[in-house]
Amino acid sequence: MWHRSASFILDKNQNDTVYPADSVTLTPPPPSSISTPQNPNPNLNRNMSMSAYYQTRAAHHGVVTSDWLAQSQEAATRAVATGGQEIVDGGKSGRAFSVIDEFNNWRKQPDLAEAVAAIRALAAVIRNSEAKTMMELEIELKKASDSLKSWDTTSISLTAGCDLFMRYVTRTSALEYEDFNSARSRLIERAEKFGEISYKARKIIAMLSQDFIFDGCTILVHGFSRVVMEVLKMAAQNKKLFRVLCTEGRPDRSGLRLANELAKLDVPVKLLIDSAVAYTMDEVDMVFVGADGVVESGGIINMMGTYQIALVAHSMNKPVYVAAESYKFARLYPLDQKDMGPALRPIDFGVPIPSKVEVETSARDYTPPQYLTLLFTDLGVLTPSVVSDELIQLYL
Amino acid sequence: MPDTQALVNDFLNKLKKRKIEGSQATARQTAELLRSVISQQRVPYTNQAGALIDAVKAIGEQLIAANPVELAVGNIVRRVLHIIREEDLSLTTAAIGGLNLSAVSDDENDDDRDGDSTLSAAAVAAAARSTLRPPSLQTLLEDTPVSAAVPQTSSSGGDSEGKTADKSSRSRKLKHDVIEAVNELIQDIVTCHEQIAEQAVEHIHQNEVILTLGSSRTVLEFLFAAKEKKRSFRVFVAEGAPRYQGHLLAKELVARGLQTTLITDSAVFAMISRVNMVIVGAHAVMANGGVIAPVGMNLVALAAQKHAVPFVVLAGSHKLCPLYPHNPEVLLNELRSPSELLDFGEFSDCMDFGSGSGSPLLHVVNPAFDYVPPKLVSLFITDAGGHNPSYMYRLIADYYSADDLVVQRRATAGN
Repeated sequence: MWHRSASFILDKNQNDTVYPADSVTLTPPPPSSISTPQNPNPNLNRNMSMSAYYQTRAAHHGVVTSDWLAQSQEAATRAVATGGQEIVDGGKSGRAFSVIDEFNNWRKQPDLAEAVAAIRALAAVIRNSEAKTMMELEIELKKASDSLKSWDTTSISLTAGCDLFMRYVTRTSALEYEDFNSARSRLIERAEKFGEISYKARKIIAMLSQDFIFDGCTILVHGFSRVVMEVLKMAAQNKKLFRVLCTEGRPDRSGLRLANELAKLDVPVKLLIDSAVAYTMDEVDMVFVGADGVVESGGIINMMGTYQIALVAHSMNKPVYVAAESYKFARLYPLDQKDMGPALRPIDFGVPIPSKVEVETSARDYTPPQYLTLLFTDLGVLTPSVVSDELIQLYL
Repeated sequence: MPDTQALVNDFLNKLKKRKIEGSQATARQTAELLRSVISQQRVPYTNQAGALIDAVKAIGEQLIAANPVELAVGNIVRRVLHIIREEDLSLTTAAIGGLNLSAVSDDENDDDRDGDSTLSAAAVAAAARSTLRPPSLQTLLEDTPVSAAVPQTSSSGGDSEGKTADKSSRSRKLKHDVIEAVNELIQDIVTCHEQIAEQAVEHIHQNEVILTLGSSRTVLEFLFAAKEKKRSFRVFVAEGAPRYQGHLLAKELVARGLQTTLITDSAVFAMISRVNMVIVGAHAVMANGGVIAPVGMNLVALAAQKHAVPFVVLAGSHKLCPLYPHNPEVLLNELRSPSELLDFGEFSDCMDFGSGSGSPLLHVVNPAFDYVPPKLVSLFITDAGGHNPSYMYRLIADYYSADDLVVQRRATAGN
């Protein structure tokens, strides 16, 4: 539930009455299996609408804890159940094909971006569809795209990828092609090619950022972004001398994985706990982060802790560079941190937490554009104000 | 071309010896030089635009290397390259359009041919829409068009239709169009002051106090234009050490009947609270909206921000540079002669290389430029109107192509 009022006592009363209703859709396993020593907090399970997006990212990063395993089992059973519902409700009766399964298959590959998985799934929809006209195909695609979006409401690049593909379909179908089959095969071809585009996008971004990394610089990195990894890899290959300060990135501890990868490239790496960022900020020359999504104002939504780092960097006049592909631009305009849908991740503190104590489990935060210096995208090096321009051109 | 080579060498010499003062003069002479290079360049029948682009890039590389601090040179080279690409594209699409019509009329019974030419025309139309525009979200999913393929289809189509006479006239037309466009560019450069000055009345109101630093011709014309329109205002001029060009500006303002006050650079913070607006010129404007300006400008910008005074920068469009300042404190600065600061005679013993260890204890540094970050600038007034610093990327996208950001003859992979 969203906590908007200042009176937390009132909220607590509200929460106690609301949760029983929520727990029906969550179908939590019986309390006996949860009351293990690591996770005795019943609140954690009752209101845990697991963010599938962050779950997948954790799977990619491979730092597995035991309570995470329990949570993932619960989420997997829930996903199958809702996936089945989608098939029945979406009117795709008679076909064993489920766009959600397709999407999940693609998404499991660690190197593939969310939006690419979404577009590949939609391409599979086109391939399996029996539509004979463009309008019919578009309607099917819209249904598939809506079901994908509602299955995981927290993933911004998923939404953005679906929207982008839908706009492309709507725009091109109106134009040059009179023959339905050729148009359809072309759409499938473009969708499959999108994977290459995404891969090329990372290369372009890496090339654009090379000039900004000078010899002897110190880069602060937060979280494990594949794009930022590509940037640093290319800089190392170009024999640049730089060192990286890497935050641990609790609770995923993705910073550990990043440190591993960088050590393999012989880049000097120093690990910091998340709280040590302000302490080391004065020896940092620039901050590099990726983005889960880029919003209309030019701000970014990224792993929890990014806003904090951007604030510290801004107060010490250090540039904050964001590396994000252009298909992550989303039509969102959050006004503050709580303005987005909640995306929750369980946090394992390693010791039992009394049940009265709440835990802030949000997995992401919003960094406003005034704290960002430049965005490196495959469309070029941009200032944050370009984002809304691009989105307007695409959507309006 | 021995003729053009002599011109180029002469210009390179002038650039290296810093004999040309000011970005407007540099820009104009660069454009004129490139115009003569283009008009003298022989172009082959196929891929003429490519030949022109190569020729301009070859010369451009040398020009930029001769004076890397004068960004206007690089700007004009890239503008000309963009013009060549644009003109080539518009000619090609016109030719394809004509080709399509003739194909339809001549081969009505040949359906395949018809379908092909329709498809290729549509593909070319799509290519035309997306080639010159910088990459955008809209074109993300579309095929990346190969610009070299476009003139080839047209030339092969032209051969099959037997329009060789048409092609030779097209080749002449490309050079002619490009030269016309470069003439327009030169005209824009020369008249940029007037176009900026036209906007003076909207920004300067009655009984205002304006602060400026050093001397900029654009600022001078701007203030004169406001005076012409019967605005009464006062000007504080910071002298702009060590060249003291503010003195010259003050003299010219007084000659025109404007109430002027001369102050030192160090007095800016003391006087800024009495000022309504700061209007300055710039040496160059970077793609992020940052400004390379004469030294001391950062001081004025910070003072203006502290007292919430609008900081307005006047810049002609030839000063817009598509590059980002990666390390602005270090790059793009020129160190001038220390004699402007110190009199050699008095200080010769401190700066003597012969005494002691051979290295003098006194160093004199005289940087010519300052970098003002975009967050300190309130408004840019260019000949294309008044804009936000974060809007600069837009103008840059209009004037330059993404392919030309690195002016090098060798094909660099992926740039």
